[in-house]
Amino acid sequence: MSAVLQLKNVHKAFAGVPALAGIDASLANDTYVSLLGPSGSGKTTLLRVIAGFEQPDSGEILFSSRRIDGVPPHERGIGFVFQNFALFPHLSVAENIAFGLTNRAVDPVTDAKVVAGRVRDIIGLVGLSGLEDRATTQISGGQKQRVALARTLVTEPSMVLLDEPLGALDANLRMRMRGELRTIRERCGVTFLHVTGSETEALAMGDTVLVLDAGRIAQSTDADTLYSRPASADVARFLNCYNIFPGAVSGDAFASPVGALALGGVKQTSGNPAYAIRYDRVAIRPTDAATADDEVRIEASFVASEYSGAAINSFFTLDDGRVFEVETHLSHAAPATYEEKGRYALVWKREDALVFV
Amino acid sequence: MTMAATSHDTPVETAERPTRKQPDRTFWLLAPGALWMLLFLVAPILMMVYVSFWTQTTFKIEPTLTLKSWVTFFTSDTYLGALWTTVRIWLIVLVSTLLVGYPAALFVGLFVKNKTLSTALLVLCVIPFWTSFLIRVLAWRPMLGKEGAINMILMKIGVITQPIEVLLFSELSVIIGMTQIYCVFMVGPIAFMLGRIDPSVIEAAQDLGAGFWRIFRTIILPLSMPGVVVGAIFVSVMVLGEFATSAALSGRKVNLLGNIIVTQVGSLKWAFAAVAGVVLTILMGAVVAALLRVVDLRKEL
Amino acid sequence: MNASGIKFGLGVYTALFIVFLYGPLVVLAILSFQTGPEGGPQFPIIEWSTYWYKHLFGLTPPSRIAPLPIDQALFRSLALAVMTMIVSTVLGVTAAQAFRKKFRGSGVIFYLIVLGMMVPGVLVGLGMALVANTLGIDRHWWGTAFVLHVVYTFPFAFLVMLAIFNRFDPSVEEAAWSLGVPPARTFRKITFPLIFPGVLSAMLFAFTLSYDEFSRTLFASGRDLTLPLAIYGTFSVEVHPNVFAFGVLTTLFSFALLGTYAVLMGLSVRRAKRMAIQEEA
Repeated sequence: MSAVLQLKNVHKAFAGVPALAGIDASLANDTYVSLLGPSGSGKTTLLRVIAGFEQPDSGEILFSSRRIDGVPPHERGIGFVFQNFALFPHLSVAENIAFGLTNRAVDPVTDAKVVAGRVRDIIGLVGLSGLEDRATTQISGGQKQRVALARTLVTEPSMVLLDEPLGALDANLRMRMRGELRTIRERCGVTFLHVTGSETEALAMGDTVLVLDAGRIAQSTDADTLYSRPASADVARFLNCYNIFPGAVSGDAFASPVGALALGGVKQTSGNPAYAIRYDRVAIRPTDAATADDEVRIEASFVASEYSGAAINSFFTLDDGRVFEVETHLSHAAPATYEEKGRYALVWKREDALVFV
Repeated sequence: MTMAATSHDTPVETAERPTRKQPDRTFWLLAPGALWMLLFLVAPILMMVYVSFWTQTTFKIEPTLTLKSWVTFFTSDTYLGALWTTVRIWLIVLVSTLLVGYPAALFVGLFVKNKTLSTALLVLCVIPFWTSFLIRVLAWRPMLGKEGAINMILMKIGVITQPIEVLLFSELSVIIGMTQIYCVFMVGPIAFMLGRIDPSVIEAAQDLGAGFWRIFRTIILPLSMPGVVVGAIFVSVMVLGEFATSAALSGRKVNLLGNIIVTQVGSLKWAFAAVAGVVLTILMGAVVAALLRVVDLRKEL
Repeated sequence: MNASGIKFGLGVYTALFIVFLYGPLVVLAILSFQTGPEGGPQFPIIEWSTYWYKHLFGLTPPSRIAPLPIDQALFRSLALAVMTMIVSTVLGVTAAQAFRKKFRGSGVIFYLIVLGMMVPGVLVGLGMALVANTLGIDRHWWGTAFVLHVVYTFPFAFLVMLAIFNRFDPSVEEAAWSLGVPPARTFRKITFPLIFPGVLSAMLFAFTLSYDEFSRTLFASGRDLTLPLAIYGTFSVEVHPNVFAFGVLTTLFSFALLGTYAVLMGLSVRRAKRMAIQEEA
């Protein structure tokens, strides 16, 4: 697959504070790419630099193998869906969608019938039929989202940038739009670069997930791999599903604040040394239960449980005061009740842990 | 697995980064306006400074440089008197617009809680500004004259038996007229700054037992200072450049620098008018600079 | 602290203040209904009549009081105001557009523009007359006076547009660019319609300032007078109630302008509210 977008060592600083500190990435054609990053990680800046609204301080940006850093935004052919939609308030829905087609510098479509036809098609694709003549103030948030999408898709760009597109929608709508966005993208066959701060959204939507951390791409892979093999303790932290212990490797164990944890899992070289175990890989057993050879065991006091539909998240305090979270899927066993402040053994298989050295 | 980050198959353009056209756009957007100001504002002022050094014969002026007009200005009683009158009237009008306007600004900006009402009151104050300046100057004549409205009313209610003569065609009439015309420029900025004071600050002071005057002195007055300074700058600029009000209401008794310029131009004494003009410019520059030092406007606004 | 007492006192003061502001105009209006041609510009009102209004329009039999020279002057003032309005608004919009991005020397340019509203009319008028004399250019209301009017009103238009652009959300422009629409066309079709209320206020501001402007025009308009100059000419001579009648009419004209402006702004504010609602959703 050819790369539709390539970023080489892109830097951008604002008043001396770096926002992008050497971005290297490659986006394939016809894929859904999500960019995950906590607030302040520079994800909006990256999007704006790709779109051309900001100029990078150094580095190269290649779009369809053509250098575009320095090219003004209206000459790049990259679509953009804004977080606040940025619909043209003085134009109707249909006029908003047709705007790019009829007013662009390169190849504007002058035949009104052709324009009407293409607008009609895209309205059908995104599901806005019947709303063509409405004013932008007379439609709901989800509908505005679709207008913003349709407006850019009708111009047939090779890539579309979406800046937290689901952020302004309520939870229900967000769920629905996730599936719709993927469907729409597949039908159009263009690459979507979808920026979000929500790890569940990033994992759910992207064929490829990029993780942005402190101005750099910390990991770029598919969702499954990211979920099971975060490339560093920081990335693991973003995923919000790992218990992470600082410390260091000593001998054949990891010296952590709660004692030595036997090694045996995957060792990865990256950043600060850490030991990570995913929430759903931990079993809760009574303190007197036996521990197998290939298992790691620590003790903790139960605090509370949180029920979230298909799973239960249980919270424990470790001896040094840290919180440890365990996720138990209810399809595996009936929910057990735990005594508050009761002591339990938390056990997991050695090889399920991730060790960063 | 992590994606391969290279694509050796497609050749990549390593051309120079395409140049941007943004700086040019800014230049061309500003050029007409900046050029206009340079040609029609800066050049005339510079010309005025230049001409003030020209030689003035009875009806003509010549580009021969001399300090004669300057010397005449500073050694003549009339002209020094005009300078002094200008400074004096400016100070008096500045203080009077402040004293007259501040309480009204206090009421509208601080005491009126309803935003619509306070905006309406401000609009009410500003409307006269939108009528012709000359008409407003003129309107004082029938008010202040011997048979004018004020005298008539005062006589009718028996406060005085003889009409007050000094109301019109005196320095007092000029001061009254200017105060009325320009006090709006004090009320506006002060009311604006007062409106920005957080009412909870005043409530807290009241709870701590502070009386009105204390609160005024320590909280309200300092916080309104930027508005006072802005108003003072507006009023000062306008009063210093005045000549119409003094001409219309003082019957040639009050001579401001502005009046000097007008009469000198009338007699074609260009170099002399230019000298008066430069003096006025320096005076204004000094006043504005001094006012800007009172409060660091950038910080407060 | 007697808060309500102070509030009452200040309220009374403000009412008196407003009387102070409007007093002369009211007296002027009353006296404009003085009978003529014998009635003079002072109390008492001999008899109420609209004589002086008729006198303004030349509808009264000739008397020793010359009619105000307003026909030509009125036309010149209106034409000058329209010309000034157009030029200074164009300059104001382009300059404010330039200030949307940071650039070197923006402080200098800003003060250069704002200087135009700070320098008193006498000074710049004098300077212009000197320049015209030296260069041998004739002074006309449509030439030398016109350029000075623009010097005066351009900073006002500029400041109004700066305030408008400050509140303007640039993402709609960026959206248009991302669709392939070049900046010039984006400005025409997206930016301008949305800033139009501001442009309208700038235009009205400039028109009003120019229409009433006279200290700059005094030295720079040459032989043909604008309306304020014609009025000024009557100051030194005896003042008659016809000037008062004129004052009332001109004030009503200003109010009509303001009223139109308020209606237009009301319509535009409603559209701006719709925009704000869009951002909140």
